[in-house]
Amino acid sequence: MVDETTALLAIALMATVTFLTRIGGVVIMSFVPITPRIEAFLRHLAVSVIVALVVPAAVKGGPTAMLAVATAGLVMVLTRSAVGAMLAGVACAALLRALPI
Amino acid sequence: MNAHGAPARTTRTATLTLRGVVDGAREIAPVAIFVIPFGIAFGAAAIEKGLSAPLSVLMSTFVFAGASQFAALDLWASPMPYLMLALTVFAVNARHILLGAALAPWLLHLPMAKRYAVLSVLSDPNWAQATRALQRGETDAGLVLGSGLLMWIAWIIATAIGAVLGSNLGDLTRFGFDVLMIAFFAAAVVGQWRGLPDLVPWLVAATVALAGAWILPFGWHVVAGALAGGITGALRHG
Repeated sequence: MVDETTALLAIALMATVTFLTRIGGVVIMSFVPITPRIEAFLRHLAVSVIVALVVPAAVKGGPTAMLAVATAGLVMVLTRSAVGAMLAGVACAALLRALPI
Repeated sequence: MNAHGAPARTTRTATLTLRGVVDGAREIAPVAIFVIPFGIAFGAAAIEKGLSAPLSVLMSTFVFAGASQFAALDLWASPMPYLMLALTVFAVNARHILLGAALAPWLLHLPMAKRYAVLSVLSDPNWAQATRALQRGETDAGLVLGSGLLMWIAWIIATAIGAVLGSNLGDLTRFGFDVLMIAFFAAAVVGQWRGLPDLVPWLVAATVALAGAWILPFGWHVVAGALAGGITGALRHG
């Protein structure tokens, strides 16, 4: 169990780090011109964060999560709607759990 | 969500008006509605982890970055792993740096206080909206502030609902809410696809993250995978 002081400290830490990422891009751009190589790094970092979140979570979540992720990906390809993809993934998981297997 | 096709168009001026704030909020409203299930899911998940309702609302108010808040819940334990928490939150939110950088040519024309006020509510949807506005020649940064504020308010209220209803919602996994975040992220990844050159960095990120999930201390796999993908991309394109 996390006590309240620890929780408040953790929230303050998260808030500070997040705020620094929000202002960081503008602050950096006001000092350093972003080279093509740094831009390529940042661009791939942004997507890689999401890839690194999804893949292990889907694998650890088992067949239901993997199928839900596949459904979401497919719906995104077909409709280009992130919200539709998200709802399709959730519906897929709910449906699979409702099945008597 | 589009971090690629955002030409950092140089604008000569930037303003911040109340009218822009209102217009921005109105324009983002349909998207803000879809933040609500996330917020409810987060509030309920936070209660499950032993956070009080006020603390979970406090986190949503001051952090306002859903993915990193969910990630933090995974690390929420006593003793608190502060360093890992900071690194994970940084890794998950590092994309903000890129989003901000893309808006810099515009926002750097604003006075410091207004600039940071706008950036403090920066999120993926309102960044995407701001980018479109910038491309059609808007100069009013109030659009970004207004849309961000509406997203922020929706996030706080939804968290409160989830935190209060938490235990009464029963097992949210029954409704598939536990896959909501990964389904959304999966869609975000697909939406970022720009062709075959992306494949290698993505595979590197996925492989390192997957291996890291088993061999690294908990939480580090996201940082490791993200850095591996970023470095691979930089080496191939730089």
